[in-house]
Amino acid sequence: MNIGRCQQVFLRGPLSFGRLAGALTAFLLWTPVREVMAAAGKPATKLVNVADTRGLGPGITKWVGDLYNASDWQFAAMVVVIMSTMGLVLGFGCDRLVGLLGINLGKMKHHE
Amino acid sequence: MEHFTIYLPIAGMQFNVLLLLLIGFTVGVCGGFFGIGGAWIVTPALNIFGFPMPYAIGTDLAHMGGKSIVSTIRHGKFGNVDIRLGVSMIAGTTIGIELGAQLVMLLERAGLAESVIRKAYIIFLALIGSYVLYDYICHTRRVAKQGAATSTYSETLASKLQRIRIPPMIRFPASGISCSLWLPILVGLTTGIVASVLGVGGGFIRMPALIYLIGCPTAVAVGTDLFEVMITGAYGAFTYGIKGRVELIAAMWMLLGAAVGAQLGTVAVKYVRGYSIRLLFATTIFIACASVLLKQLEMQLASSITILAAAVVISGVIITWLVKGVISERSASQRPAAAQSL
Repeated sequence: MNIGRCQQVFLRGPLSFGRLAGALTAFLLWTPVREVMAAAGKPATKLVNVADTRGLGPGITKWVGDLYNASDWQFAAMVVVIMSTMGLVLGFGCDRLVGLLGINLGKMKHHE
Repeated sequence: MEHFTIYLPIAGMQFNVLLLLLIGFTVGVCGGFFGIGGAWIVTPALNIFGFPMPYAIGTDLAHMGGKSIVSTIRHGKFGNVDIRLGVSMIAGTTIGIELGAQLVMLLERAGLAESVIRKAYIIFLALIGSYVLYDYICHTRRVAKQGAATSTYSETLASKLQRIRIPPMIRFPASGISCSLWLPILVGLTTGIVASVLGVGGGFIRMPALIYLIGCPTAVAVGTDLFEVMITGAYGAFTYGIKGRVELIAAMWMLLGAAVGAQLGTVAVKYVRGYSIRLLFATTIFIACASVLLKQLEMQLASSITILAAAVVISGVIITWLVKGVISERSASQRPAAAQSL
């Protein structure tokens, strides 16, 4: 089967890509109606964002909870800093470990 | 198992740390191999195990930024990261992410976040999986008929888009292509909106977009996409952090598992052909789609088993390919040495 024939089957056949996608979309668009009606009864999420740190002793969990309660901007900045720092340290660390296994980690050739 | 249960103060719930490490590891392997953030595994998995959807999205984006740094470092050393292309897409991606985040908050206020996001997931996963599979089938038939030497990029949508001459034109040496700067910016904007609404790094849509719309080789698409996921993950973590939707403790545990997995998944790319990556990518997307569809049909248990089993099996396949590749590479390098000693 050549490309043209393959495309014809996929684009125009009885179980074509377009028809399947259309049927799936119609099914998914039909179901929200009852959910929109049901959504009126219950609250969506909690209204105030507070981390409950009352039962926690000193440690990283309490520190994170307190940071979260202190300031949204400060918390967001620390999320990025902590994740980036952990990524860099773990990235170079794991890279070194894999290198120790004797795998050739030089530039690779691109073959499809 | 109670010894491994930790308290997550922001989400206000108990969670098993081994589960976080497992989710992180499997998504790390898949992410490093496919060049994606893997949110289609993490967000439903966290949601299935009790995280409210907005927290699942924010936590996933936070760990994704760190994990992508791990993979990008390795892909960069392989020569798979087209930094110029990645930077060109950033402006569009950043604007798109903010537009998407505002849309999610709007949906959350209307109480529709969970249902709408899940349905959008199903549609995108089904469409992308189908197209990648279709391309793979066409490629295999073409190769079987005409021989492996036939060019893969004879006349594709990407080559047509590259011919659109809207200034400024730009060359991307690592990908070996030239096109209008507007092409990567628009691709970045679109994928940024989708990424933010669905709570993903955008990889599962951007990786195929880099291949089919911009024309990158598969391995470069994987590496460049991870570079983008790194940026979108960091920005997404920040914007969801401001909105108070990141469970930082969970993200840190997941990142520990993901760092090891990402390293293994990234190195595996070296031993696998581009179209094999695409085939496994399509298979993975279909399984993720089936899992989210099961959840939509309120088959909770079947959905969680599907997504976790699939992630573990696919990670196993990738690690098997990695081990086979390393063994064959070693035996190939030992043969000349053995011949010399004879």
